[in-house]
Amino acid sequence: MSDGEWLRVHPASPFVRGWVALAAIAFFFGRDIFERSLQGRPVFEEELAGRAPLLLAGGGAVLLVTVLGFILTWYFTKYQVAGGYVRVNTGFLFRQQRQARLDRVQAIDIVQPLLARIFGLAELKFEVADAGESAVRLAYLKMDDARQLRATILARAAGVTTGTEDPGVAAPEAPEYPVLAVPPSRLVGSLLLSGQSVFVVAATVASVLLSAVTESSAFYLYLVPAVLGLAATYWNLFNKGYNFTAAISPDGIRLRYGLLDTQAQTLPPGRIQAVKITQPPLWRPLGWYRIQVNVAGYGLVENAGEGSARTTLLPVGTLPDVMNMLSLVLPDPGTPQPAVVFGAGLTGQDAAGGFVTTPRRARWLAPLSWRRNGFAATDTALLLRSGRWWRQLVVVPHQRTQSMALHQGPLARLFRVADLVLHTTAGPVLPRLTQAGVDEARTLFNEQSARARLARKRQTTEQWLRQVAPAAAEAVPVAEPAPTTHQQEGGQHG
Amino acid sequence: MRTEAIDPPGIDWERVSPKYITVRLVQWVLGNLVSVLVLSLPLMLVLADVWVWPPLWLAVTVPAVMLVVALWRLVLIPRQVRAIGYAERDDDLLIRTGIFFQRTMAVPYGRMQYVDISVGPVERGLGLCTLKLHTASPGTNAQIPGLPAAEGARLREQLAARGEARLAGL
Repeated sequence: MSDGEWLRVHPASPFVRGWVALAAIAFFFGRDIFERSLQGRPVFEEELAGRAPLLLAGGGAVLLVTVLGFILTWYFTKYQVAGGYVRVNTGFLFRQQRQARLDRVQAIDIVQPLLARIFGLAELKFEVADAGESAVRLAYLKMDDARQLRATILARAAGVTTGTEDPGVAAPEAPEYPVLAVPPSRLVGSLLLSGQSVFVVAATVASVLLSAVTESSAFYLYLVPAVLGLAATYWNLFNKGYNFTAAISPDGIRLRYGLLDTQAQTLPPGRIQAVKITQPPLWRPLGWYRIQVNVAGYGLVENAGEGSARTTLLPVGTLPDVMNMLSLVLPDPGTPQPAVVFGAGLTGQDAAGGFVTTPRRARWLAPLSWRRNGFAATDTALLLRSGRWWRQLVVVPHQRTQSMALHQGPLARLFRVADLVLHTTAGPVLPRLTQAGVDEARTLFNEQSARARLARKRQTTEQWLRQVAPAAAEAVPVAEPAPTTHQQEGGQHG
Repeated sequence: MRTEAIDPPGIDWERVSPKYITVRLVQWVLGNLVSVLVLSLPLMLVLADVWVWPPLWLAVTVPAVMLVVALWRLVLIPRQVRAIGYAERDDDLLIRTGIFFQRTMAVPYGRMQYVDISVGPVERGLGLCTLKLHTASPGTNAQIPGLPAAEGARLREQLAARGEARLAGL
């Protein structure tokens, strides 16, 4: 991985990416020939036989053009890591040049679709918070090259200089420590007990009842497309959440998951903008939680399924898992009793753990959840708690607050309450404090401005290893270190 | 300017130009009168005996309700414009809007990614402009409409300078 040298992706990559086109051509010609030979007919009709060479030449030309296109695409796709930038050039008719500042890398993923996995190839994808552009992609590299490039990019982004800027020296991969794994049984259980399962059961019961009452079986027919759609959803969640493992390294949090298509995400320290921990009612007896995060760049994904998997920090986990993950996201909880405060945020009510809830006078605005709706501020983060049945806790680090707003409608004014909305990057987490007493909300508004200002001053650089406290190193003891350096992504899943 | 319950105490709000009322009036005419006219079409057709359905009472009620709502909005416009305020504090810009649904927003200078100034045709005629602040969050819907052009330019320069001095990463 020498500095400044232009490199090409793996020659097989256009074929791996464009296999659909090749398969279509093969199918188109192959099926006809196959059918005809089965039926004992000649491959070409009598009147066409004379033109057989012409047709074959036509087919060959299509194939040749496709393959030539692939080769040209490959030839003109080049990348370079130099001078604090990653540059990627693509296209031969419409040239595209992209460059991304390394110290603005928000997250870096290694994605392996099934076919690429068979060939030992991987796609490298990184999100850069430059101008709201989508991810920079490099597809495909050999698995080892991809991992090496990831290590280099992360090292440069962290501000590690490889010795004397010797271009020949590659950055070593950072060691990592496993933190948790989600067993498949728990994943299946979480899917069965999810909110949509309730909907499935309700819909089934309703249609059975309707059928019995109206003595018509037509209602079963309505279920068919619904079942197909739901099966696809379940499969997608299972496929994405299978074999979920989390690990910590000085580079950040590493997440790996996937059954057929595997993905390895790296979230550098301090790139997580907001965290949401939720618990649907059916998970409560089992004590399970889900964690979702906002990461700059992840919010703008084209594929909703992919997006929801990428913004999930923990698909399903127990309370110790949640606390482990929180200690990685927020190495300094900013309170002497993190277990008490965050525990109260997850399951508590009223003022336990230092939470300030909706005042009693406004209980009719939220008759169920007024004792849960509330906030608590530690030195490093703001905790927003809500939901009686659908429990939710949102954690926003002070230094990640973009802007904020107080809202008050006529009804809220009557009860002297107000909402506080924190603005964060696009993603599944929408931090909103609902129905706080107006005095408390105004105080929080002022204090939060001050806290965010202080936190911003403390955070001086984007290059995290140059910051005062290397966050990841502190978090490791929580994760019961079991150093397995250089974990093999390819080996682990393939 | 009256300080509302959710506003931080002791803020001197800058008000936007009263000429912005004209801009809002033009928008109101374009938006509401057109819809009232379109909704009155069935009434005219019914009165002219071209249409049999809807019944007369329905054909009268729909545009009448629309008209009342539109007039209500019209009455509110001057108060709404008066309710828009902004204040430059040491580290952030405060923007407040709304009478019934009030909002007070704080945008830290260090979080601003860029500042836009846009001028529509009516605004240009009146020498006004709209200032828009962008942070990394799409939720930051911070705009100050109805600024005099000179004040808008001054504010933009001021914000850019302060933003540069306090720029923080994401």
